[in-house]
Amino acid sequence: MKLKEVDRTAMQAWSPAQNHPIYLATGTSAQQLDATFSTSASLEIFELDLSDPSLDMKSCATFSSSHRYHKLIWGPHKMDSKGNVSGVLIAGGENGNIILYDPSEIIAGDKEVVIAQNDKHTGPVRALDVNIFQTNLVASGANESEIYIWDLNNFATPMTPGAKTQPPEDISCIAWNRQVQHILASASPSGRATVWDLRKNEPIIKVSDHSNRMHCSGLAWHPDVATQMVLASEDDRLPVVQMWDLRFASSPLRVLENHARGILAIAWSMADPELLLSCGKDAKILCSNPNTGEVLYELPTNTQWCFDVQWCPRNPAVLSAASFDGRISVYSIMGGSADGLRQKQVDKLSSSFGNLDPFGTGQPLPPLQIPQQTAQHNIVLPLKKPPKWIRRPVGASFSFGGKLVTFENVRIQAQQGAEQQQQQHHVFISQVVTEKEFLSRSDQLQQVVQSQGFVSYCQKKIDASQTDFEKNVWSFLKVNFEDDSRGKYLELLGYRKEDLGKKIALALNKVDGPDVALKDSDQVAQSDGEESPAAEEQLLGECIKEGKQVSEFLPSAGGTFNISISGDIDGLITQALLTGNFESAVDLCLHDNRMADAIILAIAGGQELLAQTQKKYFAKSQSKITRLITAVVMKNWKEIVESCDLKNWREALAAVLTYAKPDEFSALCDLLGTRLESEGDSLLQTQACLCYICAGNVEKLVACWTKAQDGSSPLSLQDLIEKVVILRKAVQLTQAMDTNTVGVLLAEKMSQYANLLAAQGSIAAALAFLPENTNQPNIVQLRDRLCRAQGQPVPGQESPKIPYERQQLPKGRPGPMAGHSQMPRVPTQQYYPHGENPPPPGFIMHGNVNPNAATAQLPTSPGHMHTQVPPYQQPQRPQNGWNDPPALNRVPKKKMPENFMPPVPITSPIMNPLGDPQSQMLPQQPSAPVPLSSQASFPQPHLAGGQTFHGIQQPLGQAGMPPSFSKPNIEGAPGAPIGNTIQHVQSLPTEKITKKPIPDEHLILKTTFEDLIQRCLSSATDPQTKRKLDDASKRLEFLYDKLREQTLSPTIISGLHNIARSIESRNYSEGLTIHTHIVSTSNFSETSAFMPVLKVVLTQANKLGV
Amino acid sequence: MVSVINTVDTSHEDMIHDAQMDYYGTRLATCSSDRSVKIFDVRNGGQILIADLRGHEGPVWQVAWAHPMYGNILASCSYDRKVIIWKEENGTWEKTHEHTGHDSSVNSVCWAPHDYGLILACGSSDGAISLLTYTGEGQWEVKKINNAHTIGCNAVSWAPAVVPGSLIDQPSGQKPNYIKKFASGGCDNLIKLWKEEEDGQWKEEQKLEAHSDWVRDDGRVFIWTCDDTSGNTWSPKLLHKFSDVVWHVSWSITANILAVSGGDNKVTLWKESVDGQWVCISDVNKGQGSVSASVTEGQQNEQ
Repeated sequence: MKLKEVDRTAMQAWSPAQNHPIYLATGTSAQQLDATFSTSASLEIFELDLSDPSLDMKSCATFSSSHRYHKLIWGPHKMDSKGNVSGVLIAGGENGNIILYDPSEIIAGDKEVVIAQNDKHTGPVRALDVNIFQTNLVASGANESEIYIWDLNNFATPMTPGAKTQPPEDISCIAWNRQVQHILASASPSGRATVWDLRKNEPIIKVSDHSNRMHCSGLAWHPDVATQMVLASEDDRLPVVQMWDLRFASSPLRVLENHARGILAIAWSMADPELLLSCGKDAKILCSNPNTGEVLYELPTNTQWCFDVQWCPRNPAVLSAASFDGRISVYSIMGGSADGLRQKQVDKLSSSFGNLDPFGTGQPLPPLQIPQQTAQHNIVLPLKKPPKWIRRPVGASFSFGGKLVTFENVRIQAQQGAEQQQQQHHVFISQVVTEKEFLSRSDQLQQVVQSQGFVSYCQKKIDASQTDFEKNVWSFLKVNFEDDSRGKYLELLGYRKEDLGKKIALALNKVDGPDVALKDSDQVAQSDGEESPAAEEQLLGECIKEGKQVSEFLPSAGGTFNISISGDIDGLITQALLTGNFESAVDLCLHDNRMADAIILAIAGGQELLAQTQKKYFAKSQSKITRLITAVVMKNWKEIVESCDLKNWREALAAVLTYAKPDEFSALCDLLGTRLESEGDSLLQTQACLCYICAGNVEKLVACWTKAQDGSSPLSLQDLIEKVVILRKAVQLTQAMDTNTVGVLLAEKMSQYANLLAAQGSIAAALAFLPENTNQPNIVQLRDRLCRAQGQPVPGQESPKIPYERQQLPKGRPGPMAGHSQMPRVPTQQYYPHGENPPPPGFIMHGNVNPNAATAQLPTSPGHMHTQVPPYQQPQRPQNGWNDPPALNRVPKKKMPENFMPPVPITSPIMNPLGDPQSQMLPQQPSAPVPLSSQASFPQPHLAGGQTFHGIQQPLGQAGMPPSFSKPNIEGAPGAPIGNTIQHVQSLPTEKITKKPIPDEHLILKTTFEDLIQRCLSSATDPQTKRKLDDASKRLEFLYDKLREQTLSPTIISGLHNIARSIESRNYSEGLTIHTHIVSTSNFSETSAFMPVLKVVLTQANKLGV
Repeated sequence: MVSVINTVDTSHEDMIHDAQMDYYGTRLATCSSDRSVKIFDVRNGGQILIADLRGHEGPVWQVAWAHPMYGNILASCSYDRKVIIWKEENGTWEKTHEHTGHDSSVNSVCWAPHDYGLILACGSSDGAISLLTYTGEGQWEVKKINNAHTIGCNAVSWAPAVVPGSLIDQPSGQKPNYIKKFASGGCDNLIKLWKEEEDGQWKEEQKLEAHSDWVRDDGRVFIWTCDDTSGNTWSPKLLHKFSDVVWHVSWSITANILAVSGGDNKVTLWKESVDGQWVCISDVNKGQGSVSASVTEGQQNEQ
């Protein structure tokens, strides 16, 4: 396809390959006159701009020369690596002169463009060539057998390759060898070619077919084979290209007879040795394979002869041809449609002729074009055979599961006679693993989840924590798995019940009796001031204040007392009391601001009145601490959480931990966390995570964490996932709430995590971590992809005990040949017409994935790990897939006692605030004197003035917390162990009795593995490793059970035997490789119970070198 | 660590030009100068020849798997100027469509993200890019971008399906307002970004200039990034200048590793280090290689 054209009758030279952009230099031809018969000459440089679709070439510079040229070449001499300096243009002139031009100067429009000039030659210089190894060496040929070798660094004195050949003849062509730098060939119209060795300074061989008809117009060395070259003849009687091999120089190796008339020029592609261009007097430009003689391409040219043809060194698909009709054309051999270009030309013509269309059809001027047949077929076909440079020899592409697919083709030397090497056309599928630490941590996490070792895992994390925050988070997480979790939370927040109890006890010991305590409380509190935290003082102080008022009233009750019935307030109250009208009495007291009196009376007046009075009191009282008291009394924790100063989030959380009922606990923690996140500074924002951990709100934890941490790297994602997984476990254990819902954000993070694992080749692990009970499209899709990537088990082999897994997978896959069952049979139903809604998420269309439904039908846990566990042990509750604890060693599920009551806040300041919480459920008796003794247990520091509400530095609950509350089983935290542990233990022995023996052929597995563990144990030193190994030994029972039941697939079994063999030979790393292979190729559910453990053992064995 | 887990002897009779795994990584499609396309089941380290597809009359350059929601569909492109779409029906692979709209070698095929429907982009040495859209009933609608790259397009690649202004998928049921985009590279040294206009026409949105030779031939690998929200400013970062032609680049699924295959028969893996530099982490030779820990350790230090 023609790309560009320039109307010049000129010699041409492409810029060297290093040069960017591509230039084409033209120098007025000495041999041909153009249409104007002008005798002026010029040197021009054009830029090849392929992004411009027009046929025009952009002229960069024109230099009016006094010379016309027989030959023009562009060498890369002195060109730097960036191609900035544009090399040297070397021109052969009419009068024996060789002129060196600086193309950069020409482009710059400089006058001084000639670098050097030498007219040592006799007659026109028709042949020039640059040595490709030493670009400063240029060979030239002229009349009288003259050949000179020029050193561009020392241009004055040329060398000769040896003695002149006799008889003297014109040198028409000259060419440096492409493989051996000191070999040069020259040829003349007489038909003889001479090969020179510059080291020997003599001709070493003469090539001639003795036909006397080979008028050499072209000479070119084979780009790859040092001993081969071609000669072209311009004699019409012998219009051939001869291929010679100097090793067999008696006759040509091959003769290409593709032209009808003499050949004027040839050019051999450096980019593909199978492409040789030739142009001749038959007006053809052909591209043939000189190694076979086959014509690969005929360029669509016009009827004019071309006298010069050149490959573009930089763009291998581009060539230029100069024709006698005064035009240089640039072509691509890749074919293509010329429509666009043609249209351009038509447009140009139309514009030149005004709006007139001179030819009616919009066709271009006839003389410029080949007649109609090409006009009809604007499509130009490419080369018959693809050029070498588009034949991709190597490739690498990633695929799912961290696999890399690579192939490479070893280049075959196209050596003649060399035996055809049988090429191996292999494709390698490799596993790429780059995140070792990530994988090992993920592995650990998985093991922890399986082994239920949450507490020790959290502890390890706490120990390894580098920041306080990290430590806190892990401490909070750990508490979830311990008894008395609320109490421990409080401790973490800085409130130790024991400490407080001691302090109170200390305070109490200093006084003799309750009455005295009441009276002396101010002093006691003062003297104890350093020990008691300020908040304690505040809280207790409030009680004291009230108590004090009471105590002031009481003595009078003991003494003689005068019932005044005067008209003042006292009198009115007295009258009201005497008439049993408590309500009025209370009103009177309130009116007189006698709060204590009012409340005392209200107590006597019954619950309703008390409540009313409380309200009125709070409405009236403006003390800053009132709100706290209000909250405590009214049990309105929302108030505290919503309105406390965020600096006191710890206190607020403590209050919630102490008082909140289970059903409101999470919501309150959540609320606090949300406030911290949205209102607090960045430090407080991160603390919100702790609130979310208390709340068990996984989704919010993820959101908060993601906000605070950079989650882009695998390891920081691992950081998050560790916490999330542990928290989810904790929530399952401690809260009765439905933990199966997976939020959008969590789903995204988990699928991101699973994707990362998959990308490291851990497809089984990825599947394990993917939440099951969700319809999030990305997770459903990923699950499907992972399942299939794992290679599904052959239907018959699938264990009937893993119904979940089977339901999960698309049903009815007949076999490998049939492929995926959702293959559209009826295209119209399966494809989505353009413009319609894209298909619904979760592209598996047979609706097979409904994990919730699937699990709901199952009485057992998904249990593909623990199929041997009898169903009766399974609690009837929704399960969450593999990461549920196995039933056998289930941590007792914490549950709130049904009659749980949080420590009852002080509904009446003097009534029964201590003692068994159960008793508080009894209706309050409106009798005043009884509780006096218990009242005495309050230490009574003085009420410090000016406390602020937000200054709660002491858990509110302590005030009303009886000593017995530190007992875990009745503490305020959600949950106490229920008695189902015993049941599990009891059921174990019966299970063991029924075990079948391991088949003999597999017994070796057990003995080998156990032996290995023993060896490891004996050489392991640290207790941690020993623990691990002990655990592993136990967990391998799962494997033995599977062996007993013979439920493992043959591939896994054989893999295990291979591992055993590698253990025998102490080649643990091989064992690990096999392990990886098994895990990555087997069904996860089959192997998940024991493979991770086996890996631990192998890794340990490897480490210990046993 | 790069370790061979499966060596597939393809029995191709000439140079292999492409090898691609399907969506699940369980099937391998290969194509070759021997004019054939082959499909292997490579699960569990095995290699079972599923199909040997004949139909091209020249070397087959590339193969591309469609998303499995459309069934098992494979596209191949060849020097014979044709694109063939193959499909598995009842366990047998057959030609389902042949696209003959190009005038020169078709060098690259790439399926659009599945969210858009079944759309195939094809880049050809005739300089054009064609887009085939399945419209149902066995019909394919063709749109052609003529003169996308003067003297040839060598590669096409789709942008992932992202709804503008959101990084997460929109709630299901709502029709997402996807903007379809793809990139192409050519012999005019340019990378072009194409965007589908509201009227369904494809428009050149960006022209990225940094390569000084065919995108492929200058040995340079650039990572182009676009940071501004309008998506108009792309800046190149030179990953490496190779001494030879770079034939192919491939992102890992999680897009943090780049595999570069070069003309010197070398495959290298690259990863961005903590400080934003691209580092060669592995030299892969015949599918084997080690992974240098420097980059990973860098991340560890970051923790």
